[in-house]
Amino acid sequence: MFKKFDEKESISGVQQLKSSVQKGIRNKLIEQFPLLETYLDTILPKKDTFRLVKCHDHVEIIVHSSGELLFFRHREGPWMPTLRLLHKYPFFLPWEQVDKGAIRFVLSGANIMCPGLTSPGAIMTPVEKGTIVAVMAEGKQHALAVGTTALSTDDIAKVNKGIGIENVHYLNDGLWQMKAVK
Amino acid sequence: MSEAKTLPSGPQPDVKYPIQVIYCGNCSLPIEYCEYHPEYEKCKQWLERNLPNEFEKFVKLSADVSEEDATEEKKRQKRGGKGIVKARKKEDGPKQVCLSRAPRGKKKSVTVVTGLSTFNIDLKVASKFFGTRFACGSSVTGDDEIVIQGDVKDDLFDIIPEKWPEIDEDSIEDLGDLKR
Ligand SMILES: [Zn+2]
Repeated sequence: MFKKFDEKESISGVQQLKSSVQKGIRNKLIEQFPLLETYLDTILPKKDTFRLVKCHDHVEIIVHSSGELLFFRHREGPWMPTLRLLHKYPFFLPWEQVDKGAIRFVLSGANIMCPGLTSPGAIMTPVEKGTIVAVMAEGKQHALAVGTTALSTDDIAKVNKGIGIENVHYLNDGLWQMKAVK
Repeated sequence: MSEAKTLPSGPQPDVKYPIQVIYCGNCSLPIEYCEYHPEYEKCKQWLERNLPNEFEKFVKLSADVSEEDATEEKKRQKRGGKGIVKARKKEDGPKQVCLSRAPRGKKKSVTVVTGLSTFNIDLKVASKFFGTRFACGSSVTGDDEIVIQGDVKDDLFDIIPEKWPEIDEDSIEDLGDLKR
Protein backbone atom coordinates (compact mmCIF):
# COMPACT_ATOMS: atom_id res chain seq x y z
CA MET A 1 0.00 0.00 0.00
CA PHE A 2 2.90 2.32 0.73
CA LYS A 3 5.26 1.25 -1.99
CA LYS A 4 4.87 4.49 -3.90
CA PHE A 5 3.89 6.54 -0.90
CA ASP A 6 5.78 9.78 -0.54
CA GLU A 7 5.19 12.06 2.38
CA LYS A 8 5.67 15.18 0.32
CA GLU A 9 3.12 14.26 -2.31
CA SER A 10 0.74 11.93 -0.58
CA ILE A 11 -0.45 13.95 2.41
CA SER A 12 -3.56 16.00 1.79
CA GLY A 13 -4.24 17.36 5.25
CA VAL A 14 -3.96 17.08 9.02
CA GLN A 15 -7.08 17.09 11.15
CA GLN A 16 -7.61 17.76 14.83
CA LEU A 17 -10.21 15.36 16.14
CA LYS A 18 -13.21 16.07 18.32
CA SER A 19 -13.04 14.24 21.61
CA SER A 20 -16.07 12.17 20.72
CA VAL A 21 -14.33 10.98 17.58
CA GLN A 22 -11.15 10.23 19.51
CA LYS A 23 -13.14 8.18 21.96
CA GLY A 24 -14.69 6.25 19.10
CA ILE A 25 -11.27 5.46 17.66
CA ARG A 26 -9.91 4.39 21.04
CA ASN A 27 -12.83 2.02 21.53
CA LYS A 28 -12.38 0.65 18.04
CA LEU A 29 -8.68 0.01 18.69
CA ILE A 30 -9.42 -1.88 21.92
CA GLU A 31 -12.10 -3.88 20.15
CA GLN A 32 -9.67 -4.79 17.39
CA PHE A 33 -6.66 -5.40 19.62
CA PRO A 34 -7.86 -6.55 23.07
CA LEU A 35 -4.28 -7.26 24.17
CA LEU A 36 -3.48 -3.60 23.76
CA GLU A 37 -6.00 -2.39 26.29
CA THR A 38 -3.65 -2.06 29.26
CA TYR A 39 -1.12 -0.20 27.15
CA LEU A 40 -3.41 2.06 25.18
CA ASP A 41 -3.24 4.83 27.76
CA THR A 42 0.51 4.91 27.30
CA ILE A 43 0.28 4.92 23.54
CA LEU A 44 -2.61 7.37 23.27
CA PRO A 45 -2.98 9.15 26.63
CA LYS A 46 -6.57 10.18 27.27
CA LYS A 47 -5.62 13.77 28.00
CA ASP A 48 -3.69 14.03 24.80
CA THR A 49 -5.31 15.00 21.56
CA PHE A 50 -4.20 12.94 18.66
CA ARG A 51 -4.53 13.96 15.05
CA LEU A 52 -5.52 12.31 11.85
CA VAL A 53 -3.36 12.72 8.77
CA LYS A 54 -5.34 12.31 5.57
CA CYS A 55 -3.44 10.99 2.62
CA HIS A 56 -4.15 10.21 -0.98
CA ASP A 57 -5.78 6.90 -1.92
CA HIS A 58 -8.05 7.06 1.14
CA VAL A 59 -5.31 6.37 3.65
CA GLU A 60 -5.62 7.86 7.14
CA ILE A 61 -2.92 7.84 9.79
CA ILE A 62 -3.37 8.44 13.53
CA VAL A 63 -0.63 10.68 14.82
CA HIS A 64 0.30 11.21 18.46
CA SER A 65 0.52 14.82 19.62
CA SER A 66 4.31 14.41 19.62
CA GLY A 67 4.15 13.62 15.92
CA GLU A 68 4.70 9.88 16.15
CA LEU A 69 2.78 7.82 13.58
CA LEU A 70 0.74 5.13 15.32
CA PHE A 71 -2.01 3.48 13.31
CA PHE A 72 -3.23 3.70 9.74
CA ARG A 73 -6.13 2.44 7.72
CA HIS A 74 -7.31 2.27 4.17
CA ARG A 75 -10.81 3.55 3.39
CA GLU A 76 -13.03 2.48 6.27
CA GLY A 77 -10.97 -0.66 6.88
CA PRO A 78 -9.58 -1.82 10.20
CA TRP A 79 -6.78 0.12 11.91
CA MET A 80 -3.32 -1.33 11.53
CA PRO A 81 -0.24 -0.41 13.56
CA THR A 82 2.80 1.20 12.00
CA LEU A 83 5.90 -0.97 12.28
CA ARG A 84 7.52 1.49 14.65
CA LEU A 85 4.61 1.07 17.04
CA LEU A 86 4.50 -2.68 16.54
CA HIS A 87 8.19 -2.91 17.38
CA LYS A 88 7.42 -1.39 20.78
CA TYR A 89 4.43 -3.64 21.51
CA PRO A 90 4.89 -6.65 19.24
CA PHE A 91 2.50 -8.87 21.20
CA PHE A 92 -0.77 -7.33 20.15
CA LEU A 93 -0.81 -8.93 16.72
CA PRO A 94 -0.49 -12.66 16.01
CA TRP A 95 2.94 -13.51 14.61
CA GLU A 96 3.52 -15.31 11.35
CA GLN A 97 7.14 -16.19 10.76
CA VAL A 98 8.57 -16.50 7.26
CA ASP A 99 11.73 -18.40 6.48
CA LYS A 100 15.00 -16.60 5.98
CA GLY A 101 14.91 -16.81 2.20
CA ALA A 102 11.68 -14.83 2.07
CA ILE A 103 13.03 -11.80 3.93
CA ARG A 104 14.46 -9.97 0.95
CA PHE A 105 11.23 -10.41 -1.00
CA VAL A 106 9.10 -9.09 1.81
CA LEU A 107 11.44 -6.11 2.12
CA SER A 108 11.00 -5.35 -1.55
CA GLY A 109 7.26 -5.16 -1.03
CA ALA A 110 6.18 -8.57 -2.28
CA ASN A 111 3.21 -10.38 -0.79
CA ILE A 112 4.06 -13.34 1.38
CA MET A 113 3.61 -16.56 -0.56
CA CYS A 114 2.34 -19.69 1.16
CA PRO A 115 5.57 -21.73 0.74
CA GLY A 116 7.45 -19.04 2.65
CA LEU A 117 5.11 -19.74 5.57
CA THR A 118 5.20 -23.53 5.49
CA SER A 119 8.89 -24.30 4.94
CA PRO A 120 11.08 -25.57 7.80
CA GLY A 121 12.20 -22.08 8.83
CA ALA A 122 8.65 -20.78 9.04
CA ILE A 123 6.20 -20.93 11.93
CA MET A 124 2.54 -19.96 11.82
CA THR A 125 0.18 -18.87 14.55
CA PRO A 126 -3.30 -20.21 13.69
CA VAL A 127 -5.60 -17.39 12.52
CA GLU A 128 -8.57 -16.89 10.23
CA LYS A 129 -8.54 -15.33 6.79
CA GLY A 130 -8.46 -11.53 6.84
CA THR A 131 -6.55 -11.26 10.14
CA ILE A 132 -4.05 -8.46 10.64
CA VAL A 133 -0.74 -10.12 11.45
CA ALA A 134 2.85 -9.23 12.26
CA VAL A 135 5.24 -10.76 9.74
CA MET A 136 8.30 -11.98 11.61
CA ALA A 137 11.33 -13.72 10.15
CA GLU A 138 13.45 -16.72 10.94
CA GLY A 139 16.39 -15.69 13.07
CA LYS A 140 15.17 -12.11 13.55
CA GLN A 141 13.67 -10.49 16.59
CA HIS A 142 11.59 -7.73 15.11
CA ALA A 143 8.70 -7.60 12.68
CA LEU A 144 9.52 -6.76 9.08
CA ALA A 145 5.99 -6.23 7.81
CA VAL A 146 2.35 -5.89 8.74
CA GLY A 147 -0.11 -7.73 6.58
CA THR A 148 -3.54 -9.28 6.21
CA THR A 149 -3.96 -13.01 5.77
CA ALA A 150 -5.38 -13.86 2.35
CA LEU A 151 -6.27 -17.36 3.54
CA SER A 152 -6.72 -18.92 6.93
CA THR A 153 -3.48 -20.44 8.22
CA ASP A 154 -5.08 -23.89 7.84
CA ASP A 155 -5.64 -23.19 4.17
CA ILE A 156 -2.17 -21.74 3.75
CA ALA A 157 -0.79 -25.07 4.96
CA LYS A 158 -3.23 -27.07 2.82
CA VAL A 159 -3.07 -25.12 -0.44
CA ASN A 160 0.59 -24.15 -0.07
CA LYS A 161 0.72 -21.95 -3.14
CA GLY A 162 -0.15 -18.39 -4.08
CA ILE A 163 -0.45 -15.46 -1.71
CA GLY A 164 -0.73 -16.28 1.98
CA ILE A 165 -0.41 -12.83 3.49
CA GLU A 166 -0.90 -9.54 1.73
CA ASN A 167 1.99 -7.25 2.47
CA VAL A 168 0.47 -3.95 3.58
CA HIS A 169 3.33 -2.12 5.26
CA TYR A 170 6.98 -3.20 5.33
CA LEU A 171 10.32 -1.93 6.56
CA ASN A 172 11.66 0.90 4.43
CA ASP A 173 8.44 1.54 2.49
CA GLY A 174 6.98 5.02 2.15
CA LEU A 175 5.20 4.91 5.49
CA TRP A 176 8.33 3.72 7.27
CA GLN A 177 10.24 6.61 5.68
CA MET A 178 7.63 9.17 6.65
CA LYS A 179 8.88 11.52 9.30
CA ALA A 180 6.98 12.47 12.43
CA VAL A 181 4.18 14.90 11.67
CA LYS A 182 4.68 18.07 13.64
CA MET B 1 5.41 -28.60 8.13
CA SER B 2 6.24 -27.48 11.59
CA GLU B 3 3.28 -28.08 13.85
CA ALA B 4 5.43 -28.54 16.89
CA LYS B 5 6.90 -25.04 16.84
CA THR B 6 4.85 -22.13 18.06
CA LEU B 7 5.49 -18.44 18.35
CA PRO B 8 4.95 -16.50 21.55
CA SER B 9 1.68 -14.65 21.83
CA GLY B 10 0.56 -11.97 24.25
CA PRO B 11 2.83 -9.82 26.43
CA GLN B 12 5.83 -11.74 27.70
CA PRO B 13 6.26 -11.68 31.47
CA ASP B 14 9.99 -11.03 31.32
CA VAL B 15 9.84 -8.20 28.78
CA LYS B 16 9.29 -4.57 29.60
CA TYR B 17 7.15 -2.65 27.14
CA PRO B 18 7.59 -0.51 25.14
CA ILE B 19 10.56 -2.36 23.70
CA GLN B 20 13.36 -0.07 22.59
CA VAL B 21 14.48 -1.24 19.19
CA ILE B 22 17.85 -0.06 17.94
CA TYR B 23 17.50 1.44 14.49
CA CYS B 24 20.40 1.89 12.13
CA GLY B 25 21.52 5.47 11.65
CA ASN B 26 22.34 4.80 8.04
CA CYS B 27 19.41 2.83 6.61
CA SER B 28 16.84 3.36 9.44
CA LEU B 29 15.98 -0.35 9.70
CA PRO B 30 16.35 -2.36 12.90
CA ILE B 31 20.04 -3.19 12.79
CA GLU B 32 19.37 -6.91 12.35
CA TYR B 33 17.98 -6.09 8.89
CA CYS B 34 20.91 -3.96 7.71
CA GLU B 35 22.33 -6.94 5.86
CA TYR B 36 19.43 -6.69 3.41
CA HIS B 37 20.05 -3.05 2.65
CA PRO B 38 22.04 -2.17 -0.45
CA GLU B 39 24.17 0.18 1.62
CA TYR B 40 25.15 -2.53 4.08
CA GLU B 41 28.77 -1.41 3.97
CA LYS B 42 27.79 2.07 5.10
CA CYS B 43 25.58 0.55 7.78
CA LYS B 44 28.53 -1.38 9.12
CA GLN B 45 30.60 1.78 9.23
CA TRP B 46 27.83 3.51 11.13
CA LEU B 47 27.54 0.61 13.53
CA GLU B 48 31.25 0.47 14.13
CA ARG B 49 31.33 4.15 14.96
CA ASN B 50 28.16 4.37 17.04
CA LEU B 51 27.52 0.96 18.53
CA PRO B 52 30.85 -0.85 18.72
CA ASN B 53 29.39 -3.63 20.88
CA GLU B 54 26.70 -4.46 18.37
CA PHE B 55 29.26 -4.29 15.61
CA GLU B 56 31.33 -6.98 17.31
CA LYS B 57 28.32 -9.28 17.39
CA PHE B 58 27.71 -8.61 13.73
CA VAL B 59 31.18 -9.52 12.65
CA LYS B 60 30.86 -12.85 14.45
CA LEU B 61 27.44 -13.46 12.98
CA SER B 62 28.37 -12.76 9.41
CA ALA B 63 31.24 -15.21 9.70
CA ASP B 64 28.70 -17.94 10.49
CA VAL B 65 26.35 -16.77 7.78
CA SER B 66 28.83 -16.94 4.92
CA GLU B 67 29.04 -20.70 5.43
CA GLU B 68 25.30 -21.01 4.99
CA ASP B 69 25.28 -18.75 2.00
CA ALA B 70 26.08 -21.41 -0.55
CA THR B 71 22.92 -23.36 0.24
CA GLU B 72 20.97 -20.16 0.64
CA GLU B 73 21.86 -19.15 -2.89
CA LYS B 74 20.26 -22.25 -4.36
CA LYS B 75 17.03 -21.69 -2.49
CA ARG B 76 16.82 -18.15 -3.73
CA GLN B 77 16.96 -19.07 -7.35
CA LYS B 78 13.78 -21.07 -7.07
CA ARG B 79 11.77 -18.02 -6.15
CA GLY B 80 10.58 -15.71 -8.87
CA GLY B 81 10.73 -11.96 -8.87
CA LYS B 82 13.63 -9.76 -8.18
CA GLY B 83 13.65 -9.54 -4.42
CA ILE B 84 15.86 -6.53 -4.35
CA VAL B 85 15.57 -4.04 -1.57
CA LYS B 86 15.65 -0.64 -3.09
CA ALA B 87 17.69 2.06 -1.50
CA ARG B 88 15.60 5.09 -0.83
CA LYS B 89 17.11 8.10 -2.41
CA LYS B 90 17.90 10.12 0.59
CA GLU B 91 18.94 13.39 -0.97
CA ASP B 92 22.40 12.05 -1.04
CA GLY B 93 23.78 15.22 -2.50
CA PRO B 94 26.50 17.05 -0.67
CA LYS B 95 25.59 17.80 2.90
CA GLN B 96 25.89 21.52 3.12
CA VAL B 97 24.15 24.43 4.73
CA CYS B 98 24.07 27.71 2.84
CA LEU B 99 23.57 31.12 4.37
CA SER B 100 22.80 34.31 2.55
CA ARG B 101 21.47 37.78 3.19
CA ALA B 102 18.59 39.22 1.24
CA PRO B 103 17.32 42.78 1.35
CA ARG B 104 13.96 43.48 2.85
CA GLY B 105 12.70 46.98 2.33
CA LYS B 106 15.22 49.78 2.16
CA LYS B 107 17.07 49.33 5.39
CA LYS B 108 16.36 45.85 6.69
CA SER B 109 17.52 42.48 5.58
CA VAL B 110 16.67 38.88 6.20
CA THR B 111 18.88 35.80 6.45
CA VAL B 112 18.14 32.80 4.30
CA VAL B 113 19.24 29.36 5.53
CA THR B 114 19.09 26.43 3.14
CA GLY B 115 20.37 22.90 3.30
CA LEU B 116 19.55 22.02 6.91
CA SER B 117 17.47 19.10 5.77
CA THR B 118 20.49 17.51 4.12
CA PHE B 119 21.48 16.83 7.72
CA ASN B 120 18.02 15.43 8.44
CA ILE B 121 17.17 18.35 10.67
CA ASP B 122 13.52 19.10 11.23
CA LEU B 123 13.05 22.53 9.66
CA LYS B 124 10.15 23.51 11.87
CA VAL B 125 12.15 22.80 14.98
CA ALA B 126 15.15 24.66 13.59
CA SER B 127 13.07 27.66 12.63
CA LYS B 128 11.55 27.80 16.09
CA PHE B 129 15.00 27.61 17.60
CA PHE B 130 16.30 30.51 15.49
CA GLY B 131 13.27 32.59 16.36
CA THR B 132 13.80 32.08 20.08
CA ARG B 133 17.53 32.48 19.90
CA PHE B 134 17.50 35.75 17.99
CA ALA B 135 14.18 36.95 19.38
CA CYS B 136 12.92 37.59 15.89
CA GLY B 137 10.63 36.20 13.25
CA SER B 138 11.66 32.97 11.61
CA SER B 139 9.73 30.79 9.24
CA VAL B 140 10.03 27.77 7.02
CA THR B 141 9.58 29.15 3.53
CA GLY B 142 10.32 26.24 1.28
CA ASP B 143 11.28 22.66 0.92
CA ASP B 144 14.60 23.28 2.58
CA GLU B 145 14.63 26.97 3.33
CA ILE B 146 14.25 29.03 6.47
CA VAL B 147 14.03 32.81 6.45
CA ILE B 148 15.06 34.65 9.60
CA GLN B 149 14.11 38.29 10.01
CA GLY B 150 17.20 40.41 10.48
CA ASP B 151 20.84 39.98 9.58
CA VAL B 152 22.10 37.17 11.77
CA LYS B 153 24.35 35.48 9.27
CA ASP B 154 27.57 35.95 11.20
CA ASP B 155 26.06 34.57 14.38
CA LEU B 156 24.79 31.51 12.57
CA PHE B 157 28.30 30.33 11.79
CA ASP B 158 28.79 29.81 15.51
CA ILE B 159 25.31 28.87 16.56
CA ILE B 160 24.56 26.17 13.99
CA PRO B 161 27.55 23.92 14.82
CA GLU B 162 26.89 24.54 18.49
CA LYS B 163 23.26 23.43 18.25
CA TRP B 164 23.84 20.58 15.79
CA PRO B 165 27.32 19.16 16.38
CA GLU B 166 27.01 17.02 13.24
CA ILE B 167 27.27 20.18 11.16
CA ASP B 168 30.84 21.22 10.88
CA GLU B 169 31.65 24.90 10.43
CA ASP B 170 33.34 24.03 7.15
CA SER B 171 30.14 22.67 5.71
CA ILE B 172 28.41 26.01 6.10
CA GLU B 173 28.73 28.10 2.99
CA ASP B 174 28.40 31.87 2.84
CA LEU B 175 26.58 32.86 -0.30
CA GLY B 176 26.92 36.56 0.47
CA ASP B 177 24.17 38.99 -0.44
CA LEU B 178 21.29 37.96 -2.59
CA LYS B 179 19.99 40.58 -4.93
CA ARG B 180 16.34 41.01 -5.33
ZN1 LIG C 1 21.60 -0.11 8.34
